Amino acid sequence: MNIVVFVKQVPDVPNIRIDEQRMTIIREGVESIINPLDCVALQASLELREREGGCITVISMGPPQSEEALREALAAGADQAILLTDSAFAGADTLATSHVLAMAVSKLQPFPDLLLCGMQTIDSDTGHVGPQIAEELDLPQVCGVNEIHMDGHLLVLKRLSEGFLDTIRVPLPALLTVSKDLCPVKNLSLGAVEAAFSQKDIIRWAAHDLGLQPDEVGLKGSATHVRKLRPPADRTGGRIVTGSPQFIVDALIHKLESMSILDEEDGNE
Amino acid sequence: MNKTFGGVWIFGDYRDYFQNRITLQLIAKGRELAETLNTGTTVVLLGDQIHQYAMEYVAHGADTVIVADHQNLKEYEVEKYTTLLAQWVKSYQPEIFLAGATSFGREFFPRLAKRLRTGLSADCVDLEVDPESFLLVQTTPAFGGELLAEVVTPDRRPQMATVHPGVFRELPHNAESVGHIIYPEVDVFPEPRVKIVRSKPQRTGKVSLEDASVVIAGGKGLGSKEQFELLYELAELLEGEVGATRPAVLSGWAGEDRLLGQTGKSVNAKLVISIGTSGALQYITGIQGAETVIAINRNPDAPVFRIVDLGLVADAATVLPILLETLRRRL
Repeated sequence: MNIVVFVKQVPDVPNIRIDEQRMTIIREGVESIINPLDCVALQASLELREREGGCITVISMGPPQSEEALREALAAGADQAILLTDSAFAGADTLATSHVLAMAVSKLQPFPDLLLCGMQTIDSDTGHVGPQIAEELDLPQVCGVNEIHMDGHLLVLKRLSEGFLDTIRVPLPALLTVSKDLCPVKNLSLGAVEAAFSQKDIIRWAAHDLGLQPDEVGLKGSATHVRKLRPPADRTGGRIVTGSPQFIVDALIHKLESMSILDEEDGNE
Repeated sequence: MNKTFGGVWIFGDYRDYFQNRITLQLIAKGRELAETLNTGTTVVLLGDQIHQYAMEYVAHGADTVIVADHQNLKEYEVEKYTTLLAQWVKSYQPEIFLAGATSFGREFFPRLAKRLRTGLSADCVDLEVDPESFLLVQTTPAFGGELLAEVVTPDRRPQMATVHPGVFRELPHNAESVGHIIYPEVDVFPEPRVKIVRSKPQRTGKVSLEDASVVIAGGKGLGSKEQFELLYELAELLEGEVGATRPAVLSGWAGEDRLLGQTGKSVNAKLVISIGTSGALQYITGIQGAETVIAINRNPDAPVFRIVDLGLVADAATVLPILLETLRRRL
């Protein structure tokens, strides 16, 4: 079974800080990592290859430094890595991103049996790109998968949806987005990463390699534009109270009484 | 303003109707948007024997409901729903198309947007029409909720967005409301490739944060699982439920079913008491539906204090035992 895993290099979001004047992210000093759910997809592909055989190709669209993410994926055991990098790709929304990724997949010989990605990323968190690649390639899709089995040529999957555990059958080729419950991710040894940095080549494709025109990709090929970034709006009129613990508790009790959540103290204790 | 694209559309998500209020919330917001655009609000409803939902949507404010009532549409199914809705969008040309950011909404709306070659924003926490450009401003959390991004779809139509459940308020049921319900002819669809063989309810426990009128929410600032456990006692005394921030869930202090926020649940409570939570936006999204928010945090600069009605600057570990003792004496 030939598998494609899409990975995205993202800033380690819990550690980012905000430049409140300029309303941008301070990236300096923040590590770049593979999007955690993409690591789950990669781990799942390794387990599937062990059972079913075949070849794993990891694909990432991003700036040249996204190569690090692909090196890590190779170190984890992927067979081949493709970096889709071109200054024209910058500023892409999910419509334009999924177009580039789908075009890269259609260039693969033979066409893969299974396409995997994380169900969302930690930086933009849309979950759109997987379904949109499936749409462009006319593949069936299942999102948020937490179990994968093979039954002949059919995939048998489980996923949670709105409080229901669905059991799903879908023929190959198909695209799946995976949830964190699919499998635990094994940590890489540093030695393996270093080995990967020195060994395999990474394939690089730019827009012209994929037959893409500049107006189909990046900001120009995007339907949405981010007009501005802003901090969350504040509620007003809030009262801030400091003081001794007993004073704090009294302030809270008083508030609960004024909301009729507690009855007023009337001396009947 | 360009009116050739038609009005505001809402995907009618009726599964689990009495719990899942997202469609009603979107109708209420859709009416506001439609008013600014001088157009109407339409719900599109797909399923089998679903007429009663069409009536409900009219009673909750929809001007029009377009219904595909067909035994072949009984199950929520990505490929069929995408095909049918893409046809309808091409014939009726809505200006705006909204769906709830439910599991199904997040699975089929990206596919529909792609087929229509239009833009889609994810899990919005606010929507408004810009009074000058008449564009839909779609506000969505970015970078784990640290910032809000205002997204627009300048040229392509419809302007599509999925919306976080619980951020808008539904209109009351009005049996006097009048609306159009139309039934266009529906083609027969090929068998879908994705087949759901079984769908088993997986309600874990009885945690119902969405319906609780008091929610006690705990975060990493509580310091330990033992401290977090005190929240259950507080919740019991105030007849509430316990919710948790993502860091508290990741620390194993509470289950995923108690997670509040963008990736968890949103409350509709009368009161939230937020304890030891710094106030990351992705968490705030989950509690902003509360009428009153009280926070206890030892850091006076914690962002959570920006959204509270009452902020108590104190160490939760010191205050909680005194609070519990005081309440026990009184109740």
